[in-house]
Formats: sequence, structure tokens, C-alpha cells
Amino acid sequence: MSAVAPRLSPSTASRAAERADTRRSDRTWVVALVVLLAAELLYFSTTVSGFFGHGSGLLALTEQYLDVGAIALGEAVVILAGEIDLSAGTMSSLSGIFMAVLWQQQHVEIWLAVVLALALSALIGAFNGLVITIFKVDSLLVTLATQFILGAVATALSGSSPPYGFPSSFVAVAGTGTVGPIPNQLLVFAALSILVVLVVGRTRIGRALVLIGYNRDAARWSGIRIERTVVGAFVFSALMAGISGILVSGLYNAARDDIGNSLLLPAIIVVVLGGVDIFGGRGRISGVIVATFVLGFLTQGRLVAGDSSLSATMVTGIVLIVFLVLKLRLDQRAGLDIRALARRRLARMPGPQRDPGA
Amino acid sequence: MTVALPVRRGGGERAVAPWASLGRWLRLREIQLVLAMAVVVAVSTALHPDFLTPGNISFMLADSAVTAILATGQTLVVLAKGIDLSVAPILGIAAVEVGFPAQSHNLNLAVAFVLVMGIGTVLGVGNGLLVSLARIPPIIATLSVYGGVQFLLANGQEVVNIPNVYDTLGNADVVSGVPWVLVIAGGIAVLVALFLRQTNLGRSIYAVGNNAAAAHRAGIAVRRVLFTTYVLSGLLAGIAGLIYLCHTGSADSTTGTDTNVELTSIAATLIGGTTLTGGRGGVIGSVLGAVFLSVALTAMVFARIPAIWEPAGVGGLILLAMVTDRHSGTLSTRARRHAGEAAR
Repeated sequence: MSAVAPRLSPSTASRAAERADTRRSDRTWVVALVVLLAAELLYFSTTVSGFFGHGSGLLALTEQYLDVGAIALGEAVVILAGEIDLSAGTMSSLSGIFMAVLWQQQHVEIWLAVVLALALSALIGAFNGLVITIFKVDSLLVTLATQFILGAVATALSGSSPPYGFPSSFVAVAGTGTVGPIPNQLLVFAALSILVVLVVGRTRIGRALVLIGYNRDAARWSGIRIERTVVGAFVFSALMAGISGILVSGLYNAARDDIGNSLLLPAIIVVVLGGVDIFGGRGRISGVIVATFVLGFLTQGRLVAGDSSLSATMVTGIVLIVFLVLKLRLDQRAGLDIRALARRRLARMPGPQRDPGA
Repeated sequence: MTVALPVRRGGGERAVAPWASLGRWLRLREIQLVLAMAVVVAVSTALHPDFLTPGNISFMLADSAVTAILATGQTLVVLAKGIDLSVAPILGIAAVEVGFPAQSHNLNLAVAFVLVMGIGTVLGVGNGLLVSLARIPPIIATLSVYGGVQFLLANGQEVVNIPNVYDTLGNADVVSGVPWVLVIAGGIAVLVALFLRQTNLGRSIYAVGNNAAAAHRAGIAVRRVLFTTYVLSGLLAGIAGLIYLCHTGSADSTTGTDTNVELTSIAATLIGGTTLTGGRGGVIGSVLGAVFLSVALTAMVFARIPAIWEPAGVGGLILLAMVTDRHSGTLSTRARRHAGEAAR
């Protein structure tokens, strides 16, 4: 497995030093993101009228992109474990449609429909994870396939006239409601964020997850139950996608079968911008959370200023690439230990390719 | 190349029993695809005699040409363990940039070909630089920039009317049942297959995909090889853009991205037996994969399955290809895999 190749047999001590270096540079990265966020808010507040809106405008804007944030949290967990979940976007659509159809056509009580939609999400996540671990195939492939399938199921379920007009009790809680000036969606996102930060950073499962992404063989030899953990990561990712689907449906007071398609790419961009290594094993959830706001306000700021959404995406892509190049430079300078630096340089020479999954 | 040696040894030992040799043939992904296609065609024809008319054959083949060309380029990238998500906007940009002058100034078709190849190459160079020089992971480097470029270039306009030459190229048959676009796609695939098998650079792509570190130590300029795969993929995506324009007669700011052609091209590549882990597969499989997708989806239409289930069909076929993958190889890598298994 070539994933191991760049990291061949460094001594334990220097390896620990290398870990400490990357941890330091990861922390620097989060600080850099916070500075970027502050600069961005300052720029848009002073140049785009109607962006700041006495603070409440700013808070209200968060509603527009926290669905991406929820997917990004789940995606981050999967990517940390060295896998990827491409089905999260259509999973989100399916969850919203499934809930809405249960409510409208089967007359299920709306909150029960929400629970059932989340259960369906978890089930599909488990399917993804089980196929990946049992057949030992690349997660990119499996979730690419389920992405197609879930999208078709969502379209078929929604029929020609997708459901809309949910009970006001539901919309007030899951959609546009606020607590004081703070949108409910922001509160939900905050709760989910805290949960993920604590689980990934402070529990055995979180550590196992990151170790699996960092070095799967080492994880296996340490007695970590890899299959179980990976399936868990996919269940979690699907669950977050499900939650995001319900939040979007609540926000627009309507369910649509294609609503999640546009959420996947921004979510992956957020995870990578947040400093998570796309090949796993490295990154901080706090970075992902800050990146959600960085990217969200960037996109919304451009939209409020009157740009089209596709050119906003292009600006986002350019920002992402510039920052990744910066980050690679930062990583190279982080090591104060000259030998570790030289070794990393040598290890990098064959090229950027590493095993994307498996 | 070092790869050549075990090929002969692995092949020779196993050719003893005739049934073993048959089993090995059946394990080829290309053969499996042809057999699967034969089954689908036989069943569909038995149920709906209209299925095997020259008109429908031509329709199915022409429909797969764009995917086949994209998948050919995608295969090069995937063989070197990369991935190119930007083929959709490259296709769209090429279609739009040629479509407007064709619509308003009756642009010469030969000039159009040169133009799309230029556009594709330039955009491919951009991807190649990001991946090989800036070392951005390919899935990120090819993700998001070109879609916006296409949107800005199209500027809300649409191509709706193309000159007759274009339409003829896109929709006419060479002989009954064999459309021009398939001849082009097939020609490209054969050229690329020869490139992969017969040239140093082509073999290097396999070597890099198998083990980049080993390839580096064997003296292969890994980053140059990676760069080349993205340039070629961009070039082919540009040509696919012209074929798309000729075949459908329209192009706008979301052409390509709205139908997720990048994912379909990856699907055809994977169904054709090329693996995402790099170093295994070939373009002939990818072209067969594209044709198989088109045949299977047309069969779904004949079976009166609503069109909204089409993506589910694609997904199901990917899953099927994946689950059967452990027992199959492709023409170019099968013997090597046997050698590998023997060594283990």
C-alpha cells in the first residue's frame, strides 16, 4: 500500500516530534482561518450595504448556508477516517422528500416523520459502510453509486408536485424560527458542532477514527475495530446529511428532490479549507467549523453584492486553491527539526499521490 | 519496461488446461461487458423487436460517444491514480466557445476541431499544474474553478442553431447503424490504447499509478507523467465538447455540469474495469463501459421504466461492476495480476 510509503519507518521519537509539528501547524491554520473570517466580515460590512444589518442581518445570513455546515461536519468525520462520502448531497434531498411525503401522503405526524427520515438516513449510511468494509472497495465508488441511486429514489418519491407548506410548528422550530436574534438553525449547528468536537477530540472513538485515517495498518495492529468504526463514520455522515435535508426543507417550507445536489461540493470544500487532509488522518473539527463560516459569508457576501452563484463558486474555488498552496508551504516550514524537515522533503519527492482510500 | 517480464511467465504456466484458459477469458472485464451487452440486447430484442433496428443501434451508439471520449481521458488520469472532475466544465466551455461562432459566423468545422483541442489543452494544463506542481489533491484541484469560467463565458446566452455540417457529423451514419461520432470515439480510443501499450510514456502512466515511489526510483519523471495525464484528459474533454455540440445541437452556461457528465465518465471508466487505486485497467474497457451504459439505459426505456430511474440504473451498474471486480482483470493487466497472485 503506497499510503505507507512516504512514512516508512521513522523512529518513534522523531515521529512523535513530527506529529507535534503538524499539530502546531494545524493550530496555526485555525488561527489563520479566524483572521480570514474577521477580515472578510470587515470587508463585506464596509463595502456591501445590507450585509451587516446591525448584526442581526449577519446572523440571519447564517441560515442560508448552515445546511452545508451540517453536511461538512459529517463529511469531516468520514474524511478523517481516510474515506469519502459522495452520497451526502442526495442523501440530504432524500431525507427531506421522505419526511415530506410521509407527512403529506401517509399523514404521519410531522415530528415522527422527521425521526423516520433520520432513521432511513442512518440505514443508508450503514449500507454504504457495510458495502465498503465487506467488499473492501473504495468508498468513492460505493458512494458515487449510492449517490445516483438516492437521487433517483428522491425524484421518484417527490413525483410531479413536491410537497410544501409544512405545519407552522415545524417551520418555526426547524426552519426560520429564532431565539432572540439567533436563528434556530445556528443553535442546531452549534449543538452538532460541540458534539463532533468533543467526540472526535476527546473520546476513544475519535482517536481511533483519526488513527485509521493516518495509518490503517497501525490502527489494526493496535486492536482498533476498523470495520465497525468506519461503518459508524458513514452512519454519522448520512445522519448529518439527513438533518441538513430537514433543515433545508424547514427553511424553504418545501421539499425538493434536487435540493441537496448543490450542497455536496461546498461541504467538501469546507472540510478541506478547514485543514482536514483529504486523504485522512489529520485535521481539526474546529477548523471545519470556522471554515463553514468563512466560506458561507464569502458566498453570501458575493450574492448580496449581486454576483451569480456560479461565479461565487469560482471565487470560492480560487480562494481554496490559493489557501491550500499556502498551507502546504506552512506545513513545510512548521518543522523546526531539520532532520524531520529533510525527511519530509525526501518523502514528498515522488509526487503528491497517496492512496485515496482502501 | 519491467512490466513485460512477468507477463509471459504468468501466462505460460496457466495455459495448461483448456477450461482454465476459458475461465481466464471469462475473467476479462472486456469479455464480461460484451457478454453482458449480448444478454441485454437478446432479452430486449425478444421482448421488443424494435430494439435491434439499425436506427436504434445507431441511436444507442451515438449517445455513448461523448461519454466514451470523456471516459478515455478519464481513464488516463485514473490509471495514474488521479481523478478529473473538471471534464464537465471543459466539455461545456469547448461547446460554448465553438458553438457561438458556429451559430453566428458559420465557423469551419476543421477550425472548430483545432479550437476545441486548444481550449481543452489549455484548461488541462491548468489542472496539470495544480496537481503536479502545486501538489493540490486532484479531487480538489479539479473541483470548482472551471464551472464559473463557463458561466462567465456563456454570459447567459444559448447556442440553439448549428450549421448543417455540424449536425451531419453529430447525427449521420457512416453506414447504417454506425454513426460518425462513434467512429471518432473509437478512433481516439484505439490511438490512446496504442499510446498506453506501446510508448514509454504510456507504460509510465501504469507504473506511476501502481506505485509512485517505485516509479520515481526507477527513474520515471512522476510529476511530468501526472501533468501529461491531465493535459490529455482536458484535450479529450474539449473534443467531447464539440461532439456534444454536434450531437445535441445546443450548448449553454451549464452544459455538462447539469447532467453530471464527469460522474458518468467516471462510471464508464469503473465499469470498464479501471480501478481508482491506479495502475489497473485500459481504455478499451472504458469505451465498452460507455456503450454498455447506453445500451442498458436504452433497454430500461424499452422496458417502460420511467426515465427518472436512469441514474439509479447507472448507480446499480457501478455497484455490480464493483462487486464483480475482485474476480476480473482487463486485457492489459490480467497476466500481470496473475503473476502478482502467484508471487504472493
